[in-house]
Amino acid sequence: MGFFIGTDVGGTFTDLWVASDDGQTRVFKSPTTADVLGGVIDAIHLAAEAWGLEFNAFCAQIERFGHGTTVGLNALLTGTAAKTAVLATRGFGDTLEIGRLRRQTSGMNETEFTDAYLRNRFAPLVDRSLVVEIDERINVNGTVVQALDEAQARSELRRLGGLGVEAVAVCTLWSTVNPVHEQRLRLLAQEEIAGVFVSLSHEISPAVGEYARMSTTAANAALGPLAGRYLAKLESTLREAGMRVPVLMMTCSGGVLPTEVLNERPAYALFSGPAGGVMGTLAIGERIGLRNLLTTDIGGTSFDVGVVADGRPIMRSEIALAGADIRVHSIDVDSIGAGGGSIASVSFGELRVGPASAGANPGPACYGRGGLRPTATDADLVLGVLDADHFIGGRMRLDRAAAERAIREQVAEPLGMTVMQAAWGIREVLDSRMADLLRRMTIERGYDPRDFALFANGGAGPSHAWVLAAELGLDSFIVPTAATAVSAFGTGNADLGFTTESPAYLRVRPGAVPPAADLVRVSDALEAAVAEVRRNLALATTASEVRIDRSVSIRFRGQTHHLDVPVAGERFDAAAFSEAAAHFERDYEQLFGRGAAFSRAGYELLSVRAAGRGMLPPPAHATRGDPPQPAGSRKVVFRDADHPVDTAIWRTVYPAAGTVIDGPAIIEFPGQSVVVPPLARATADEHGNLHVNLRGAA
Amino acid sequence: MSMSPSGAASPGAAAGAAAMNAVTFEVIRNRLVAIAEEMRIALQSVSGSPTVTEASDFFTGLFRPDGSVVSMGFQVSFQAPVSGTVIRHINASPHLKVREGDMFIGNDPFIGALHQNDVQMIGPIHAGGRVIAWAGVQAHQTDVGGMDFASWCPKAKNVFQEGIRIPCVKLLDRGELREDVLEMITTASRLPDALGLDIRAFIATINVARERIADLESRYGADLLEQAMLRMMDSSEARMRARLRELPDGVYRGTDYLEHDGHTNTLYRIAVEITKRGDSLTLDYSGSSPQAPGFINATRAGLMGGACGSILSTLAWDIQWNEGILRTATVVAPDGLICTAQFPAPVGSATVETIWVVSNATMLALNRMLAASPRYRERAQTISDGCMATFNLGGINQFGEPFGLHLMDPLAAGSGAWATRDGVDAGGPITSPVPTVADVERNEQVSPLFYLHRRLAADTGGAGRFRGGLTAEVALTLGGIERAEALVMTHGAEVPNTMGLAGGWPGSTVVQRMGHDAIREGRPHAGGRWEVFGPKPGLMEMTNRDIFSVTWQGGGGWGDPLDRDAQVVARDIERGAITTHVASVIYGVLVRDGVLSVDETTRLRAALRRQRVGDFTTDPARFLTARPIAALTDSLFVARDQRGLHVVSRAGCILASGHSRWREGAVGRTWEKLPPEYCIRLHERLAITTWYCPASGALLAVDVHERGQRAADDVIVELADLERMGNAA
Repeated sequence: MGFFIGTDVGGTFTDLWVASDDGQTRVFKSPTTADVLGGVIDAIHLAAEAWGLEFNAFCAQIERFGHGTTVGLNALLTGTAAKTAVLATRGFGDTLEIGRLRRQTSGMNETEFTDAYLRNRFAPLVDRSLVVEIDERINVNGTVVQALDEAQARSELRRLGGLGVEAVAVCTLWSTVNPVHEQRLRLLAQEEIAGVFVSLSHEISPAVGEYARMSTTAANAALGPLAGRYLAKLESTLREAGMRVPVLMMTCSGGVLPTEVLNERPAYALFSGPAGGVMGTLAIGERIGLRNLLTTDIGGTSFDVGVVADGRPIMRSEIALAGADIRVHSIDVDSIGAGGGSIASVSFGELRVGPASAGANPGPACYGRGGLRPTATDADLVLGVLDADHFIGGRMRLDRAAAERAIREQVAEPLGMTVMQAAWGIREVLDSRMADLLRRMTIERGYDPRDFALFANGGAGPSHAWVLAAELGLDSFIVPTAATAVSAFGTGNADLGFTTESPAYLRVRPGAVPPAADLVRVSDALEAAVAEVRRNLALATTASEVRIDRSVSIRFRGQTHHLDVPVAGERFDAAAFSEAAAHFERDYEQLFGRGAAFSRAGYELLSVRAAGRGMLPPPAHATRGDPPQPAGSRKVVFRDADHPVDTAIWRTVYPAAGTVIDGPAIIEFPGQSVVVPPLARATADEHGNLHVNLRGAA
Repeated sequence: MSMSPSGAASPGAAAGAAAMNAVTFEVIRNRLVAIAEEMRIALQSVSGSPTVTEASDFFTGLFRPDGSVVSMGFQVSFQAPVSGTVIRHINASPHLKVREGDMFIGNDPFIGALHQNDVQMIGPIHAGGRVIAWAGVQAHQTDVGGMDFASWCPKAKNVFQEGIRIPCVKLLDRGELREDVLEMITTASRLPDALGLDIRAFIATINVARERIADLESRYGADLLEQAMLRMMDSSEARMRARLRELPDGVYRGTDYLEHDGHTNTLYRIAVEITKRGDSLTLDYSGSSPQAPGFINATRAGLMGGACGSILSTLAWDIQWNEGILRTATVVAPDGLICTAQFPAPVGSATVETIWVVSNATMLALNRMLAASPRYRERAQTISDGCMATFNLGGINQFGEPFGLHLMDPLAAGSGAWATRDGVDAGGPITSPVPTVADVERNEQVSPLFYLHRRLAADTGGAGRFRGGLTAEVALTLGGIERAEALVMTHGAEVPNTMGLAGGWPGSTVVQRMGHDAIREGRPHAGGRWEVFGPKPGLMEMTNRDIFSVTWQGGGGWGDPLDRDAQVVARDIERGAITTHVASVIYGVLVRDGVLSVDETTRLRAALRRQRVGDFTTDPARFLTARPIAALTDSLFVARDQRGLHVVSRAGCILASGHSRWREGAVGRTWEKLPPEYCIRLHERLAITTWYCPASGALLAVDVHERGQRAADDVIVELADLERMGNAA
């Protein structure tokens, strides 16, 4: 037997998805442990037991092991990362302090921006007393204006070593154009501080703009010692148990990589959870032939959205983390504070829902853990969407009376509504905020949401999806079989992926073609990026086939906003430039409207990027499922709060192919409830995904 | 906000909207707030101005047909009332016919603009055959013509010598772009392509608003949409009035100054007297200086912008920003003041001069009101980033193109301390909710600049129990070109604008210098001739052998520096925020070899307190032991004994009896020049008076005022009112 495994370590639960080549697919959840590793091993034990195997026997039959973790993220957020120093160019040591003024407003939501008292929530990633300015300077052309003062650097490094520094981040101005000083500083650091972990900015985040580059390098250095130890322990534990395949880590850009590649670049895996979710959805989309996907995830505190257009996830180049701008090529997952724990309140006769959340503790009023404020989960319970006796597969009993009381006293009575009307109102406000985010992620990028399939993930996703679909004008939505563990599913299904970029600045006047020498410079940068991708993917021996996408970043001269456009050939010659410029204008007009392009401005070419994908053998496809079991009926509100509708309840773990259930119905899985409104029809496909068509059989 | 120069009463709440379901209202409200943000994204994506794309000097908003602002993006709050003024101008001008698909462009400060660089466009949004709203967008343009590059003309004597004035002109006629008008406008600029690109960005931005509103309208109908807009403003007004009722009634004053009008180094005063009664405010600027002969003036539109931005930022931090908040306030100011300059006064640099100082003075007075409130004292704040020093550069860049840049780095000045925490280092102004500056590398990549440093400047934060934020400082030369034309100007080189509160000191004043021939072979060298500039040296040639170096203002401090936790001062020294020398002179903290000397510090602090006042008062009649029942700040208390109500110091020394003018019982000391440790240079017409408790030497206030005069009492309240609020709290 062979097992394909995906694991994802979240804040509360460690999820594990398994597909065996005998056609079974299962999801296991185990509480996340403080050392992270324990939760992963516990989850594997659960899986081994389910197949009646010893732990070692199970490990020996693992064909693929994907892994995602928030361990790095948490270390940075809680300040438990390695003691890290920063080496910066003389005169620019306060780059993290000044933080482009953006650090102070980072992490504020749209209701907080106007409150200056809430600014400066996050300290700089590295304290000012551990930032050292080095005598050296390179200019925009890569010319060494002031030579590196090695004696000064050595003496500072010795001092840092004496302070117990474990990691050093080096970020000097224009190292992306001429890395000679950064490279030399690495050697000096290694000579002066035994066993130090060194990150160089031009390697970790090769982009123009010293603040994000320094932040990313500092985060990477701070995580290096920690991530290295964790991954080495995970890898050795599983190897000793008999696993023959490497651990493949999910990265921000959605590809997985062997741990030896990530040891030097832990920042690449900082946001593996959301990336895994989108990759999981993408894998399902590929199996069922869909290329335009909206992936949604509703948890306790946030609503996350990713977009896949024409088979490719929409990417972003920067993410804010712990107040810092982190520049890593990442799947763009946007998020608002809207989830099951979102708190509803009334003041001045107005209803507000979120972004404040009751979280898991004390949690919604119905959890009975001391939470007294009404939340979206309380509303769902009152509306009949949730079953008090069958929440998370019956592992937790909900207090309906407490939910009703909270909604009555804090929402219904102040607004002069019935409890049902108030509960539905909470849902309506929350759902409309979610629909806003979906519109923002599509319409503002020039897409029509009606060209997309909506995927509902997370505990509360499948119960809100019917409203979101209707809001966007869609006929249907899909609940993937692994909806409650989609990130784990993604880590087990993603291909190898490595992306890198390199600055290459060209300024082109209107109507002109760049000189040949400049184009050669761009071509060389592109080739170097491609070579870097190939080198890293080659470290993963399992790759059967490697595909590389090349692209360049272009903008109109004078703008800051750029677009990435693909480059077809290997060299970037005059023809390739013209093609890229034309492509840019087409995309630009799609985004900003016909006639918006202003070619009279000329162009700036900023950087080149190479993204490699190494295909892995796909996991086995499960084929077995069970027919859902009827579990009575209850009254559920669908839009009309005064007239709840008798609704059939079904239960299943994995619906068999061809299952058809007509609405009004609720299909309860362990951990999620799929709401099928009146007139709609849910159909299970051969992989166990539920397709809910709002127009019924049509 | 009422605009009447005579101070007519505010019109009050709009006609009540019919009852509307709370759920529907909240759904529409969220959308209308989001649309202003979506407009921002559209503008930032398409604009070619670094002030828009990398910094944040722009505005997007939605307005009612009567010009009241319904929702706005998180940018320059001074702009909140501006487009509304233009909408009212259109409504009052029969020749300006408003049709579906029209867009208007304008930048005339005598109609509605802060200054000529702030080009704005507005477009009506039609539904059901009528205008239901307007979308407005504005962004600072680097050059709109005039006698000098960047349209800030220090030598201008009237507005005709400054940039082009576009009163209010239809640029899109029923959806059709009038290319001829566009050409006329861009022709006036030294940077026509940049202006052209931005105007296209404006059109795209208004189109986004129109599409989004049309979506909403098709779903809810025009009537419901209009009702929701009215209710949004009523809601903010109700919340603002509730907040005002929580604050103590009284008169609160704020005074700030700006020096040099472009022609002579004259000192100008902005004085505001804010009267708070019940749930409304009156802001009276009558005590300000008459209008200046140079470009630092503001028109009434500018005054309203400064006043509105200050109210929004200081009092409405958790209320959705719209007209409802502004309805609670009335502005009084006669024509012809520096902040109500009359045509044809030059006003080119209004935003960074008079308007900026209007906002400093207004926020100072408003924070004095917060400081007197038991509920909100903890979030009273001193003044942040008291000026926006200008460094503009123009010429031919390293790519052989005409260029113009407006350095936004000066936003990285220090933020003011709060009553409960230090100000943010390089935090910038609070009137822009999300300020940003560009990376050094980005600036060097596209502009002919070569930076020598961009860093925090030690000792620049105003001293206090809570320290003002440090300012950043930069030094730069030219990169890739040999020469260019520079414009250097500021206020605040001889005026400490970032006033402290409760005994905290102002932050540093601006120091701008030029090192002539200070660069050899691309590197600074020890030779060179360093020239320290006054506030407005103006236009000059700069070469790649010169270094321009500037340090801006640190934020104001809160409370007596001798009360700052000595351990925290030691930590400031470790981080390089305060030097060891300044720690001993101003904070009375002794740190030797990185180690805090606790006993010596205690002795030094005691000696410094005594030095301030000579012998401490011991007259028993001046002391009061009753427990304080209220406070004006966290160092001035209100207490009652058989004689009545008094203002007392922490030491229990009675400073005033029966009224709040406590300075009459304090010991004052006036400084015409400050020791160098304070990093404050004073204009020849300015002085500083420090006020101490006669019984303890505690520092109670630091006043900046004109020489030979005393600062006006800044908080006039009925002590009985405070007592009542104190008892209730």
